[in-house]
Amino acid sequence: MMMEFTLWDILRNLGFGALWTIGLSLTAFVLGGTTGLLVLAARMAKSPWLQRGARIYIEFFQGTPLLMQLFMVFFGIALLGVDVPPWLAAALGLTLFSSAYLAEIWRGCVEAIPKGQWEASASLAMTWLEQMRHVILPQALRVAVAPTVGFSVQIVKGTAVTSIIGFAELTKTGSMLANATFQPFMVFGFVALGYFILCYPLSHYAASLERKFHGSTSGSH
Amino acid sequence: MEAPLVRIDALHKHFGSNHVLKGIDLRIQQGEVVAIIGRSGSGKSTLLRSINGLETFDDGLIEVDGERLYAGQTDLRALRQKVGMVFQQFNLFPHLTAGENVMLAPQVVKKTPKAECETIARAMLAKVGLAEKFDAYPDQLSGGQQQRVAIARALAMQPKVLLCDEITSALDPELVNEVLAVVKQLAAEGMTLIMVTHEMRFAREVGDKLVFMYQGRVHESGHPKELFAAPQTPELQNFIGAVN
Repeated sequence: MMMEFTLWDILRNLGFGALWTIGLSLTAFVLGGTTGLLVLAARMAKSPWLQRGARIYIEFFQGTPLLMQLFMVFFGIALLGVDVPPWLAAALGLTLFSSAYLAEIWRGCVEAIPKGQWEASASLAMTWLEQMRHVILPQALRVAVAPTVGFSVQIVKGTAVTSIIGFAELTKTGSMLANATFQPFMVFGFVALGYFILCYPLSHYAASLERKFHGSTSGSH
Repeated sequence: MEAPLVRIDALHKHFGSNHVLKGIDLRIQQGEVVAIIGRSGSGKSTLLRSINGLETFDDGLIEVDGERLYAGQTDLRALRQKVGMVFQQFNLFPHLTAGENVMLAPQVVKKTPKAECETIARAMLAKVGLAEKFDAYPDQLSGGQQQRVAIARALAMQPKVLLCDEITSALDPELVNEVLAVVKQLAAEGMTLIMVTHEMRFAREVGDKLVFMYQGRVHESGHPKELFAAPQTPELQNFIGAVN
């Protein structure tokens, strides 16, 4: 029996898929950001072991395709006898991926703070944590906003890969609809439009932040 | 003679194969104003930065008001509360106002209540003639004003000794005097000052002791007026001749 899909059916289903894409992106961004802070702390720690561990972590996730990382989470954990639902594998994989990139982006921002700021705060008898908390991070944060928002676009687009392990986000919904309607060009046209609607405001916002921070010199308040 | 406030014994430091400090011995009394002069590369800045642990050293001992610093020591908190420092590039915190710059360390390090910190900060800014700039951000201040805020920031921790690392070298010539006037006033009030400087006239007028560094050693030291009038070594003669 053949089911008929109206344009409204297609759009409605893609809308649901898009909601999953948004949910997965937010999860990956929030959890990835939190994990990324821990990776950043390890990357900048005094202990060479923590540093090395964080560097290997970052290099692994930056140096392998996101798809392989998802396969490893999805099939790797299954090997241990635990059945991982696609949504969990997708969220976990993207979180790991985002944390590595965000840690590296933020490290760049921390290292952009001049050495004199470290020396001045050290000479006032502050500990490393106090220096970070009161002097370095407030300045690094300002530098970090634009590239962080910019990276969130990569996360949104990265969620498309999770369709391969069967997570029914926007792309997966699109390919199911394309198979059912035999109108792949139209369906994927809508899918692409959906990603654009999600990503364009973000990249536009990142670009305007970038301009704002480049416009002001030593510090805008 | 009473015990020196700052004692440096047989201080050695290497940068790789370069022996930059070759056994420095120095005694500085409470209230003394010490000017360290010498060519770039003579080790004067490294010596100054060793005193609060910004540079490590390989051998020797530094003692400031009973706080001892050995080679390789990592806990510097007690020492640094007794040693203030002012830098060539000011290094104010750009995200904080002048007042917040001065308040930060007393609040965070000494856990002084905020209201009290503000009182201290206002008093310190008034001392350097910038009472009305409490709410100004560093990028709204001239270089000379920024450096005076930096001095106020260091003083707010009530240090026993203030290290000044070429604090007028990054300033436009017309701004040098306002900073030197503040330093002169501190000296008059009895603050112990150790300064690396190129301001020879200032060193002669205000200094109690001149230390001439040459190739990683204290080559000559003594009262500035005597040393400038009658340098004992050809190197100091050359140096004074070159900068005058």
